[in-house]
Amino acid sequence: MKLKYPEDGSQLDCVVDIPEGTRTVVFGPNGAGKSTLLRLLAGTLGDSPLDAAYLPQSTYHFRGTAGWNLGLGLSAEQAARARQLADRLGVGHLLEARAVSGGERQRLALARTLARPEPWVLLDEPLAALDAQDRMKVARVIVDAIGDRSAVIVTHDQDAAAVLGNHMVVLIDGHVRQAGAVHDVFAQPADAEVAAAVGLGNVLDGTVRVTEGPLCSVQADGATIWGVGDHELGENVRVMFGAETVTLYAGTPPSVGSARNSFIGIVTEVRPIGRFYEVVLDAGIPIVAMLTPGSLEALGMEEGVPATAVVKATAVRVVPS
Amino acid sequence: MEFLAGLLSDAVRELFGFGDELRRILFLTLAVAGTATVIGVLVGVPLGAWLALTRHRLRSLVDVLVNAGMGIPPVLVGLLILILLWNDGPLGSLELLFTPTAMIGAQALLAIPIAAGITAGAIRGLGPAATEQLFALRLSGGRAGFVAGREALPGVIAAVAAAFGRVVSEVGAVLIVGGNIEGETQVLTTAIVQQARQAHFDSALALGMVLLIIVVLVNIVLGRLRSM
Repeated sequence: MKLKYPEDGSQLDCVVDIPEGTRTVVFGPNGAGKSTLLRLLAGTLGDSPLDAAYLPQSTYHFRGTAGWNLGLGLSAEQAARARQLADRLGVGHLLEARAVSGGERQRLALARTLARPEPWVLLDEPLAALDAQDRMKVARVIVDAIGDRSAVIVTHDQDAAAVLGNHMVVLIDGHVRQAGAVHDVFAQPADAEVAAAVGLGNVLDGTVRVTEGPLCSVQADGATIWGVGDHELGENVRVMFGAETVTLYAGTPPSVGSARNSFIGIVTEVRPIGRFYEVVLDAGIPIVAMLTPGSLEALGMEEGVPATAVVKATAVRVVPS
Repeated sequence: MEFLAGLLSDAVRELFGFGDELRRILFLTLAVAGTATVIGVLVGVPLGAWLALTRHRLRSLVDVLVNAGMGIPPVLVGLLILILLWNDGPLGSLELLFTPTAMIGAQALLAIPIAAGITAGAIRGLGPAATEQLFALRLSGGRAGFVAGREALPGVIAAVAAAFGRVVSEVGAVLIVGGNIEGETQVLTTAIVQQARQAHFDSALALGMVLLIIVVLVNIVLGRLRSM
């Protein structure tokens, strides 16, 4: 499939393999071409090979009642189904309303799109305009309404990807960098860029110093890290682990249990990421840990505080660089 | 200064005299310009919606024609119709030259591109989110045009106002195809030309005031509609 960027006329060739009968999540950073890909599939850019129901990234409410908007383009039977879906999405009471909020508009557009009969369903950021506490509920309605149809869902949110999809394609700069089951892609990103795109947080380069069964020890700058990977001694590798796999202790812990990796350092940065916080620890190498707001407060994490980061070797992936 | 003041008072007196002659001219002006506007809007607004929404390969050609048509001199359109309707011309057998029908035809040709161009601009002005959503609704062409036109209604009303303003105030086309025959094909603008040529400035000015009042009234009504 050819990706054309209408904004600057540039063009990229890209092969996207989307298995029929799956819900494929297209994941990637901003500007990767996710929405362009979906618009190509929907046929709003050029001609599409698919017969698809399509939810654009920015939903639009035409002048008139929400009920009138909900029924646009639908037969009487489909409109009845759209009203049922609107009920399940919590906007069924708004049908007479003329002014709706961004989140309500998104739900109405979702109900209208999902009520369509086409064999393919294309959704661009279906959960983007919704409150955090409603996302999972809406996601379940979406999965239910798609049924056994084929779907392509664009998102840049890990939770949304995990709940909505069973197949995943990582798109970076208009190219597919990895495809596979959602869990596999999250657990085993193909390379550093994919790891960064799927939100893994810690990606370091180093050299293999020791091997021990499935594990190897990697020298990366000032630190030694144990991880999973079959490599030769002296091989240059890349070490990756998610910020959520890092356990943080205030000060120095008396014992670190079975974990092979423990890094002592000073907190250099605390930054909010969505509903969580990322804490950056300088331990010769930068270690990024993800904390809940509660843990952040309980541990008293702030810049300049000493702390220890602990990571199990099995959570660390070592790939050729 | 005295000359101007005298003219103005004579013109106002003439205006309130409002004889049969003026009544006939006014009626014909409204009938010709009104009919031409209705035709222009009925053709031009759907054409504009099509232009704004289509990806047909003829789109850019029609776009150029509409843009050119918005600025075409009325006298040129009049000349074209005159040649078509001339005794030996392709449509000469219809014997429509120097009739109100010919005038309506010429003015409708002037109104269509204005209505189409302004409608297309208004629909495009709704933005990419609206157009993308409209495509996603998978409506038939006519229904998509209707929803888009409904959404861009203030712009469509502006298109109607601009089309009427263009035809009611033009003189070139009606003068050439109508012939400015007193009592038959004379409208406000051509009557002003005739009165001015004969130095009947008070009458010319009175007719001008009537024309101005019509344009202002129509725009007030359409402005009200727009803000509703």
